[in-house]
Amino acid sequence: MKIIKTLALGLTVAAATQMTHAADTGFDMQTVDPEADRIALQKYFKSRFPESDIADYVNGIYAVDAGSREQWEELEEFPPYEFDVEQGEELFNTAFANGKGYADCFENGGIGIRQNFPYWSKEEGTVKTLEQEINECRVNNGEEPLKWGKGAIAQISAYMAWTSRDKVFDIKIPADDERAKAAYLDGKKFFYAKRGQLNLSCANCHVQGSNIAIRADLPSPQLGHVTHFPVFRSKWGSLGTLHRRYSGCHKDSRSKPLKPQAEEFRNLEYFQSYMSNGLVANGPGSRK
Amino acid sequence: MKKGLIIAAALAMAPTLATAASFQEAFESNRAMHGNDHVFEWKGGKYHTNHEEEMEARVKATKANAADLLAKAKAKNAEVAKLGFEWKLTGGILKDAQKAIDEGDYQKALNLAAQAKYHARIGIQQYHYAQKNWHLSVPE
Ligand code: HEC
Repeated sequence: MKIIKTLALGLTVAAATQMTHAADTGFDMQTVDPEADRIALQKYFKSRFPESDIADYVNGIYAVDAGSREQWEELEEFPPYEFDVEQGEELFNTAFANGKGYADCFENGGIGIRQNFPYWSKEEGTVKTLEQEINECRVNNGEEPLKWGKGAIAQISAYMAWTSRDKVFDIKIPADDERAKAAYLDGKKFFYAKRGQLNLSCANCHVQGSNIAIRADLPSPQLGHVTHFPVFRSKWGSLGTLHRRYSGCHKDSRSKPLKPQAEEFRNLEYFQSYMSNGLVANGPGSRK
Repeated sequence: MKKGLIIAAALAMAPTLATAASFQEAFESNRAMHGNDHVFEWKGGKYHTNHEEEMEARVKATKANAADLLAKAKAKNAEVAKLGFEWKLTGGILKDAQKAIDEGDYQKALNLAAQAKYHARIGIQQYHYAQKNWHLSVPE
């Protein structure tokens, strides 16, 4: 009787998906260098997909797969997230019971600031995401927090992204606080660590595996991963936040997802967003 | 056939990665080719292709034994969850094992608990593997 099916690709098979030219530095606090990481990632994709412009990576898989791009361009002619942006604007501008609103909680009244998230908060000693601050704004003004993955929070985030379109991502890792660098390193490590029953890391699918069919799907390159969030996915039939996507990808590797906005996920977002520095904010986006 | 010669996990955790990997390779390829309950030779020793949990499930199918293995599986899963490496299906398998106990199907419960415990144990291995090797797929 066989009661255990070995579904894991096996810890030893792991070697097969490793880089032939792996980096040999940047894995600890002494050597980690976010800017070098960002440049190395761009270089990697430039040689992998020489036809694709770096600036186009904000379009995810469509930057490297001509086959699905046409369909997507048609989809974008009548963007499925339009309604959500309108809803988001309305929600954003509706005052709380105490008369205050979201605009009171954010720099520049919350307009055109998406590209600065997530950021390192020295006071709180943690990475802060846009969605997190949307909910904190509510709670601080006596309102109930919203559910994290979809619905109103995604709509408000979508509206804020919309007002930030074409602003250049500029995530900072303050040099005067070692903890910020540690959070970045933690996110980087998370991204490259294999997990789940299928023993896959984010990188296995989104670096080495980008644009290589995994079952019926083509994983996008990790470069530019966050720029268009929140995203309207045809498969969801709705708008979802980045952490909703993280959760889905965990399940794809048969790993149990962490809770949205868990510290590890925020650090992961910090790392991924830093990788998108220099690219423009183009949310909300639409995907298959 | 002689059973219970040695447990794969003991070696998988061995300090020298090279040795562990080659035993593991031998174990896994034999397991893949012959399934469980197969005996193979490695460096002069004889080993079987069973996972330690499969051996643990080979006890008398009683309520007490099933409950005991389920408790062990739950503890292991709590351990891997704490490391952030819990697998997706394990929670459901643990629930199904409890259900099987409630329904008096103790063999089924033993099998499910063994499976869940295996998931948790490999998840823990994965965590330790990641600590040492996560950088291997970072582009240069
Ligand atoms: C089994 C392969 C696989 C693994 C492992 C995986 N993903 Fe994905 N991911 C996909 C696929 C397939 C899609 C949908 C196609 C695409 O990339 O847009 C996707 C989509 C995404 C997207 C949205 C991209 C976009 O353009 O909208 C993000 C962000 C993402 N994944 C991040 C991650 C992170 C972070 C991890 C690790 C925790 C991870 N993924 C692990 C396969 C995977």
